[in-house]
Amino acid sequence: MLKIEDLKASIDNKDILKGLNLEIKAGEVHAIMGPNGSGKSTLSNVLSGKKGYEISGKVTFEEKNLLNLEVEERAHKGIFLAFQYPLEIPGVNTNIFLKTSLNAIKKSRGEKELDAIEFLKLVKQKALDLKFDEKILSRQLNVGFSGGEKKKNEILQMSILNPKLSILDETDSGLDIDALKIVSEGVNALRNKKSSFLIITHYQRILDYIKPDFVHVLINGKIVKSGGSELAQELEKKGYEKFN
Amino acid sequence: MEEQLKIDFDKVIKGLKLSDENIKFRRKNLNEFIKSGFPNRRKEEWKFSDLNQIINSNIKELTFFNDFSKSFHVEDSIYINNFEHNKIVFINNSISKIDFSYEKKDKIEIIENLNSTKDNNQTNTLVSLNNALLANYVKITIKQNYSLNKPLIIYNITNKELDSKTINLRTDITLEENSSLKLINIANDDSANNFFNIHQNFKIDKDAILKNYKIDSKDNLNIKYFFNNIDLGNNSLAETFVFSKGSKFIKNEINCNLNGEHSSAFINGIINLDKSKHHEIKTNINHLAENTKSYQLIKCVLNDASKGVYQGKIFVNPEAQKTDGYQLSKALLLSDNTEFDAKPELEIYADDVKCSHGSTSGTLDEDSIFYLMSRGLSHKQSRELLINGFLLDVVEKITDIEIKNFIKNIMGIKE
Repeated sequence: MLKIEDLKASIDNKDILKGLNLEIKAGEVHAIMGPNGSGKSTLSNVLSGKKGYEISGKVTFEEKNLLNLEVEERAHKGIFLAFQYPLEIPGVNTNIFLKTSLNAIKKSRGEKELDAIEFLKLVKQKALDLKFDEKILSRQLNVGFSGGEKKKNEILQMSILNPKLSILDETDSGLDIDALKIVSEGVNALRNKKSSFLIITHYQRILDYIKPDFVHVLINGKIVKSGGSELAQELEKKGYEKFN
Repeated sequence: MEEQLKIDFDKVIKGLKLSDENIKFRRKNLNEFIKSGFPNRRKEEWKFSDLNQIINSNIKELTFFNDFSKSFHVEDSIYINNFEHNKIVFINNSISKIDFSYEKKDKIEIIENLNSTKDNNQTNTLVSLNNALLANYVKITIKQNYSLNKPLIIYNITNKELDSKTINLRTDITLEENSSLKLINIANDDSANNFFNIHQNFKIDKDAILKNYKIDSKDNLNIKYFFNNIDLGNNSLAETFVFSKGSKFIKNEINCNLNGEHSSAFINGIINLDKSKHHEIKTNINHLAENTKSYQLIKCVLNDASKGVYQGKIFVNPEAQKTDGYQLSKALLLSDNTEFDAKPELEIYADDVKCSHGSTSGTLDEDSIFYLMSRGLSHKQSRELLINGFLLDVVEKITDIEIKNFIKNIMGIKE
């Protein structure tokens, strides 16, 4: 589904990703773990198309070049980024934003757009599944949301948009254990043969709830070790030191 | 210009049935205007909007007389439908229709007598010009304890016949004790290159409520000066909402005199411009009695090479203890060639008051655009959503829900 070959990225002449290789097949859950400054967030930004990076290397998504697509085109193709710090958007109603987003994606795929009633039904069910107070949906997008609410809102968006590849950028940070459980259940509910996940995290904690098929260690812009879920346990015990 | 003014003044006088006293009053005002001419940037209140220069560079041969004997037909589609309202219709700034059919006849007094205009004690040269050349005038009085059943819409419709003219218009509205009026002013211009000098004066007596919504949204090349004077009695309230978008140039000047205790004035405004449009909102809030309140929120969205100006003055008289005054302006500058000027002025002579002001300007947040685009929205959609979001809280200040939805509709704002 996603194939990254020798990906390099720099910003303001500072090299951050230094030749990264990774392949994610349909239905797989990959975790990337790394210390601060190793390039985790840059990887998620580059994959979702954020401007401002000098990029070389090759990234294909479903056999097509991903790097020359605009941000929204990547979303249309089925890539979703759950933000580490979801933005507060004053004056934009959460429900209307969600509907605009879903219909933009449906339209790009030539599918029928949902009307207000169909959408409300969908969003109510999804909010219920995530134990997300639906009153929040009539508020302005992320404005005044707690840290946990913001992260849950990301997962709610993910479950409504039903992407092929979901990138979770430190979704676990700032979550208490109850919120982490709910968020993880939300992710697990979306796991199937067709959809893949890339979980970017600092800590092993979230991987207790979302069991990855593969774990990669990202140090200084490169993947230095890959393995199964046992690698996460090892990292938790021994830290990142020995990979430096 | 002086020559033309004098010739046109005589034409204006000739066509109207005026008392000698009124002609004398007009001549005095004409001379005052001739002395100072159109205001320019050397005047402090006009330093961000040089009207003299704007008129000279946009209108080649400005004249001051308009033949109002012609009548024009207006398609019904020009009126707002699915929204029951009373109406006053000006076509090319001449009164064409006054319709209060939703109201009790004896509760509303309408006078069109030009001889009844009086000096309004303003030291403003454009008021002098208006006094001198006024050819269409309406005075409306809403009687004690009467609230209109439906809003009043004043339509200012112009067509292509009108070109290079100065048009002076004045409406005086009195709200007697405990009465209320919801007023919507809508401009609908197909004309270009004219100067409109449009004045509305309000006298709001004890416990009365005025809500005035001013909408200029249709693209046009006219130059406009709107002057509102609002006198407020005890415990009365004036809410003004300005939507300033369509014309080439607009200066909206709003004077509020909070004469009565516990009176309050709210002014909320949106300036949303493209091309080389230049709009200003200038307010003078005079707190003249105890426990008076004023609140102002102005937001400005500037595209292309447009310019937005907000000058907000709060004056607090020594007697006006317990004054509560607030003003905030925010601007979004969406191109390198835009300009926003804000000048807050606070002049306070009482010691027990609460007054604050603030002003910010900036651009759209790129990270917010990235966030929205990562959810499948196009760059254009994302920008529009953020701009709507920026403006929404001003619209939310509109206290009448029916009118709020109506205005959101006109503005294309989605919740």
